[in-house]
Amino acid sequence: MSQIETFYDVMRRQGITRRSFIKYCSLTASALGLGPAFVPKIAHAMETKPRTPVIWVHGLECTCCSESFIRSAHPLAKDVVLSMISLDYDDTLMAAAGHAAEEAMRDTIERYKGQYILAVEGNPPLNEDGMFCISGGKPFVEKLRYAARDAKAIISWGACASYGCVQAAKPNPTRATPVHKVITDKPIIKVPGCPPIAEVMTGVITYMLTFDRLPELDRQGRPAMFYGQRIHDKCYRRPHFDAGQFVEAWDDENARKGYCLYKMGCKGPTTYNACSTVRWNEGVSFPIQSGHGCIGCSEDGFWDQGSFYDRVTDLTQFGVEANADRVGMAAAGVVGGAVAVHAAISALKAAQKKTQSQASKEEA
Amino acid sequence: MMSGARLLVGPFNRVEGDLEVTLDVAEGRVRAARVNSPLFRGFERMLLGKGAMDALTITPRICGICSISQSAAAARTLAAAGGITPAPEGEKAAALLHAVENVADHMTHFNLFFMPDFARADYAGQGWHARAVARFTAMTGTGLHAAIEARARLLHIVGLLGGKWPHTMAIQPGGVTRAPTMRDKLRMQAGLRAFRAYLEAQMFGAPLEDFVALDSITALERWTTGDVALFLEIAATAGLADMGRGAGRYLSFGAYPGPEGHAFAAGLWVNGAPALLDPAAITEDLSHAWMLGRTAHPAAGETVPDAAMRAPGYSWCKAPRLGGLPFETGALARQVVDGHPLARALATEGGVRARVIGRLLEIARTQGIMEQLVAGMIPEACFMADWTAPQEGTGAGLVEAARGALGHWCRIEGGRIVSYQIIAPTTWNFSPRDVQGVPGPLEAALVGAEVRAGEETPLAVQHIVRSFDPCMVCTVH
Repeated sequence: MSQIETFYDVMRRQGITRRSFIKYCSLTASALGLGPAFVPKIAHAMETKPRTPVIWVHGLECTCCSESFIRSAHPLAKDVVLSMISLDYDDTLMAAAGHAAEEAMRDTIERYKGQYILAVEGNPPLNEDGMFCISGGKPFVEKLRYAARDAKAIISWGACASYGCVQAAKPNPTRATPVHKVITDKPIIKVPGCPPIAEVMTGVITYMLTFDRLPELDRQGRPAMFYGQRIHDKCYRRPHFDAGQFVEAWDDENARKGYCLYKMGCKGPTTYNACSTVRWNEGVSFPIQSGHGCIGCSEDGFWDQGSFYDRVTDLTQFGVEANADRVGMAAAGVVGGAVAVHAAISALKAAQKKTQSQASKEEA
Repeated sequence: MMSGARLLVGPFNRVEGDLEVTLDVAEGRVRAARVNSPLFRGFERMLLGKGAMDALTITPRICGICSISQSAAAARTLAAAGGITPAPEGEKAAALLHAVENVADHMTHFNLFFMPDFARADYAGQGWHARAVARFTAMTGTGLHAAIEARARLLHIVGLLGGKWPHTMAIQPGGVTRAPTMRDKLRMQAGLRAFRAYLEAQMFGAPLEDFVALDSITALERWTTGDVALFLEIAATAGLADMGRGAGRYLSFGAYPGPEGHAFAAGLWVNGAPALLDPAAITEDLSHAWMLGRTAHPAAGETVPDAAMRAPGYSWCKAPRLGGLPFETGALARQVVDGHPLARALATEGGVRARVIGRLLEIARTQGIMEQLVAGMIPEACFMADWTAPQEGTGAGLVEAARGALGHWCRIEGGRIVSYQIIAPTTWNFSPRDVQGVPGPLEAALVGAEVRAGEETPLAVQHIVRSFDPCMVCTVH
């Protein structure tokens, strides 16, 4: 036991004090919607569990997920998470170069067979045998399969890995394909968004590292604690929606008053994400607060749902609740969020089974 | 190194996206280089048939680190196509958003991508090595942490004005979607003060105005403070001034347009003299790209990938040329074209050091521009002109991303996009050869680079590649 490095060891090695460590545990508990009683549990887990290595690979993408990640809200959380996952392999941020970097990935895979988490940013294009995305002389899809084979679980960062995102928009010239369509035998957690919110990313990864299991997922495989509610449900402009007060044109009088952006094409009523609660850039704001409607970037196929500036047409003002509830029926079961999350702490294996059965249900 | 060897270098880390370089090496020097951008997504094809306004949402996704540049170019393209004049205050707010992103990108490049190379064991024994290790070791250096934090705080301005970053949606053809309040203005001013404090305490170690006042290479070399001094010391011993020299042809579309013109001028710099920029003289040569079609101006161009990847093609990247010549673009080019004396002095040097100093100079100058933009903000003014989505028309949107000249060209019919072409900065810099066999700027800059015996990924090649701050996802999109 003594020679296995724990998260706590890693953090201390990186110069993080005991005090900061405990503070981090509290932050994590609250970020994950867990009560204060969980603080000592998180602390205990981190003091005793061996560190989980993370391999982070990039396919067809724009790196916006990494960009979001390195801007995590609390500087402490960011430092701790970075030191904790220490990104055993990340081709954008790591020190090594070229073949040395590829070797680092092989080493990590060999050394931690079945132990590491694979984080995927972007997706593989399958047309022309994958030639549209070549990494290390080979199609990215091969690298992905290779890295996935011995992974314990996979995180699909962002809309690209989760759904295909923009490069999969019609006509999808390269046949960009989401990770779960290529890797079918591993538990996969989708963290969609373009990009996902930094705190959601650190929250998810912390949860997995701390509890060694996937968090509760919704029927689409998204962590329910962050994707359990619609933007609309917690939008600070919601009262104006209910009162029928809408922005009619950019920067009109109503826009200045902060009225609802539904008529400007806001997709908040059909989008499940944490933007209206967690917000962006360290909690400063989120798109609706900047006067632009939500584009629904955490939903599957949001690129091909008509113009981003057309209002959501399958909603009528008075029928909203019924309709939206139907949309999110499965997710609604976990709107209670936090409670469900830790009440049903299921081991990774169980989560895997569940994800698979869900996948087969969706296909059926 | 044996003579006549061929070396395939890549994938490169600490560049944005994927990149491979094939080097012909003889007598320890690079004889010829071929740059391959191995990632193609097909944005120009996805845009076809979409509603004109969707360009505002789709094109920023080309790149997660310069998405505001793409967004600004798309907004200007649509404005040009629809004859829309943005509200002056909205244009200034868009300029501020764009400036913040460009400075943030320069910060990332210097601290996270470029400097960590000097913390490597290859440089152990150099007088500065211990300091470089402490400050710039990848993912752990003190300089990296300070820079990431300062950068995140700076980006609060984008948060306030644009809702989120990356992939901000606030910039529209008629202006911006959010009219800042007095409270926003005060918060932005506080944010800029904090950023200036970081720059003056750590990066420059002295008042920014002192750096902006430098007017010669001699004056630059006397700079003794901050990370800048450490870089200059490294540059002197590692020979970065002469490494990776360019052809001395620089292009800038002009940065931060406003009611009174660009904050950094548009134009060319050729053979030591300024020249006028004529966007009509731009062409994209496809002779060495895996693309079908012929050389054309982007307004008449198309993007049809050659799935067979036939020779002599060796990259997904097209070869943009202006008047038939390759041009280098980026912060150095912008500062040279704008006429800053230090940049003009560095224009002839044109190597790794010049490109890095170009960026640092631009950080210092842009801080002043951002402060002025915020100070001049009038919260009660109109930030969005009255406009409707263009139905018919053609337009071009020429802006300056952190990495250089970015152009969008579109044609709209019946409210739909029927043609959309994009030339990104790294498309210029990392272009393959053209039909004359003339190499692109990086390919030319690599010729002569040192390849030491046994080096698989030559250090000099890495410094040169990174000195351009390539953005490969933009290059081929």
